[in-house]
Amino acid sequence: MWLSNIFFKTLRDFRVAIVGWGIGTGLLVYIVLASFASLVTTPQARASLVTLAHGFSWLAQPIAVDTPGGYATFKYGPVILLMAIWALSTGGRIIRGEEERGSMDVLLSLPEGRTRVALQKLAAVWLALLGMGLLIALLVFAGGRTAHASFTFIDSLLFGLNLALVSAVFAGIALLLSQFTRERGSASGLTGGLLLVSIVLDMVHRVIPNAEWVSRLSPVYYYNLSRPLVPGYGTNGGAMLGLLTVSLLLSGAAVWLFARRDVGGTVRLPAWLRLSRAAERREPMLPANDWSLRSVYWRSLAMILGATSWWTLGIAGFAAWMVVVVKQTESQLASIYQSSPALKGFLSTLSGTNAISNAAILSALFAFVPVALMAFTVIQANRWSADEEEGRLELLLATPQPRLRVMAARFAALTTSTIFIAVVTMIATLAASVLSGVRLDGGNVAAASLSMIPLALLIAALGYAFSGWFKTAFDTGLLTFLLAMWFFISFLGPDLKWPDASLRVSPFYYYGTPLLHGLAVEGTVGILAAAVLALAVGTFRFARKDIAV
Amino acid sequence: MIETAGLTKRYGDKRGITDVALTVEEGEVFGFLGPNGSGKTTTIRVLMALLRADRGSARIAGMDCWQQSVPIKRLTGYVPGEPSLDPNLTGGQILEYFAHLRGGVDQGYLKQLVKRLDLDTSRKFRQYSTGNKRKVVLIQAFMHRPRVLILDEPTNGLDPLNQQEFDHMVKEVRDEGRTVFLSSHVLSEVERNCTRVGIIRTGELVRVGGIHELKDIKRYEITIVFTDSVPPKAFDGLEGVAHVDALPDGRSIRLAIQGSADAVIKAAAQHRVISLTSHEPSLEDIFLRYYQADGRAPETEHVA
Repeated sequence: MWLSNIFFKTLRDFRVAIVGWGIGTGLLVYIVLASFASLVTTPQARASLVTLAHGFSWLAQPIAVDTPGGYATFKYGPVILLMAIWALSTGGRIIRGEEERGSMDVLLSLPEGRTRVALQKLAAVWLALLGMGLLIALLVFAGGRTAHASFTFIDSLLFGLNLALVSAVFAGIALLLSQFTRERGSASGLTGGLLLVSIVLDMVHRVIPNAEWVSRLSPVYYYNLSRPLVPGYGTNGGAMLGLLTVSLLLSGAAVWLFARRDVGGTVRLPAWLRLSRAAERREPMLPANDWSLRSVYWRSLAMILGATSWWTLGIAGFAAWMVVVVKQTESQLASIYQSSPALKGFLSTLSGTNAISNAAILSALFAFVPVALMAFTVIQANRWSADEEEGRLELLLATPQPRLRVMAARFAALTTSTIFIAVVTMIATLAASVLSGVRLDGGNVAAASLSMIPLALLIAALGYAFSGWFKTAFDTGLLTFLLAMWFFISFLGPDLKWPDASLRVSPFYYYGTPLLHGLAVEGTVGILAAAVLALAVGTFRFARKDIAV
Repeated sequence: MIETAGLTKRYGDKRGITDVALTVEEGEVFGFLGPNGSGKTTTIRVLMALLRADRGSARIAGMDCWQQSVPIKRLTGYVPGEPSLDPNLTGGQILEYFAHLRGGVDQGYLKQLVKRLDLDTSRKFRQYSTGNKRKVVLIQAFMHRPRVLILDEPTNGLDPLNQQEFDHMVKEVRDEGRTVFLSSHVLSEVERNCTRVGIIRTGELVRVGGIHELKDIKRYEITIVFTDSVPPKAFDGLEGVAHVDALPDGRSIRLAIQGSADAVIKAAAQHRVISLTSHEPSLEDIFLRYYQADGRAPETEHVA
């Protein structure tokens, strides 16, 4: 049955993603719901939680955060939209990916019209999103039962459906953009950027008064109009219908364009949007002096230059923005201290004095920065694995370059990029602290920024090592799972009162809180040693394995 | 120049190659023939140290292909069966990149190769047609004037004009005393370029010999359409006729010929002929008929 038509075949291709993303995202919410009771053991703790949440209203609107459903909705805020990454990546891939591989020619040689082929693929994406939404709903409902939450199973289903609908909008955008780009990666990358912009646009009305009209431009705004898990807030049927309509319109336009353009080509843009011939970059016939072609290292560096630039902008920009936000919420924090002795005590324990309370808050926010850097290196490790699997190393290894050197050069290029991102993050954080007037210890900022490097290299080295045994998809899945697991061990483990031995499983434990307490020398050296060991295992394996088998 | 003995490679419980033993002399153009999936690519990837042999030895210029792979690759130019390169680089960038990795090449010769194969080096690899992708990998294999060329189905996707140019390039290499190991499933390509051939089937080398030895396994088919019905027995037993079939239209005869067709032509001339077409069977057909139909066990025959 699964190979009986294009719809079922496409759905079959998504089976791992449906289960992985559905259960993964559902578990995120489940864990938060399950741990909620331990957060509000006293009225003071409940009051502190509410006050603290209001300090971060720019990030996610805090509504009834002292209830399990309200807290879970607030806690994840835009983070839950990670599921849209699968949707946009798939939207960019279902048609353009087939064209890149050349398999679309074969598909279209079947006695089925283009529209029918595209609609079958699209239907499979929608059903996959609904499947993910259902799994999420089941886990959310289970978490709600554990936390004695007031929301019903129907509310859980609406929560999953809302998430599936907003993801479908981004799938539609990627599908539409892929009609104008030659590569699926370009369409997915552009849509990823639009997702980020949408999240920021949605934040605008929470930060700037009378700016709701700006946020209305973002699909995320309409997603946030429905909060089925928040008691008394409910679901906005119009907003959900709007998301469905936009998704249908975008996908419909994409399918309409696909049915009318050349297979393998792109939709012809109006003349005023096209580059003039003079402006098109012409590569010299044989660019003998191109710096990026001089060695495997330089070539590898050039390959990740674009990604490095964007990730640097994102990570360093986020760090600097955090500093500015902490400064802007300084007065709110002062009132929090006055109204919440428990929080004041907690922060004082962490920081030593009230004078560096900004640094304490910043330290908590800064915890996301190494996670982002590690996500960058996971993607790059995936690229190494994919290059081998897709045969792109075959000719490279037919040149007189030892395997060891090829792998070392690729890893060295990734290390260079990682160091660059960390250093720029450090500079941006310091610059932001000087410009905004937030007093931060320069040494601690350097420690927080630079000790991220071993963490990022550790997960990359594990990716290189795993690629010696596993296929790319499994390798990447394993790394993503590890990253998510480490994150939750370190950031939810303490809430769940997990034993110290469990917390030590996560490398974040060894990273510590360098923004407050300076460099955790032993931990950093330990992580670095683990990275070196993982790389050594990976190198040993790569030097002996059959290539692309 | 190339020597293998007892070379064996398996993919888990799947067949790869078994006990492949062959020798290619310096200056020789050696054809490596076999149907799809017979083990040609596996043998070549072991020679290029992309796969590690389970058993046996493979040597190029006296060096072990696995242990001394780096010095071997200095001597070698390689065309893989399925070229896969960075899709975002232009043909020119790919060629310069590989030139750097090989420690530099004669730019004049490189330009000459680009011109000979008529490659537009300004286009990105992903924009190339199959034939143009093949040209890029062919040029990178030839550009450093290697002592040994290992080519895995190098003309797949090339048009006849470029195939002809490729034949000239191989001839020049041979004239300069360099060695070529050319894998193919196209009999005529091997006939044109090679001095000796090895035939591999189901992972085992079944025959090694001079190019003239191919003639005794080469069988072709002739289809003759007559104005009237002609009984097949009119051609049975004629010299060179291996098999005769009457086609359903009742006026056509299909003959499998091995060797000279003289007797067949003379017999056909006794009747009114509308058309006569001849075609070379695929290598798979040859293997099926010669090595499976008669159930003969494939033992390696080395013919001087």
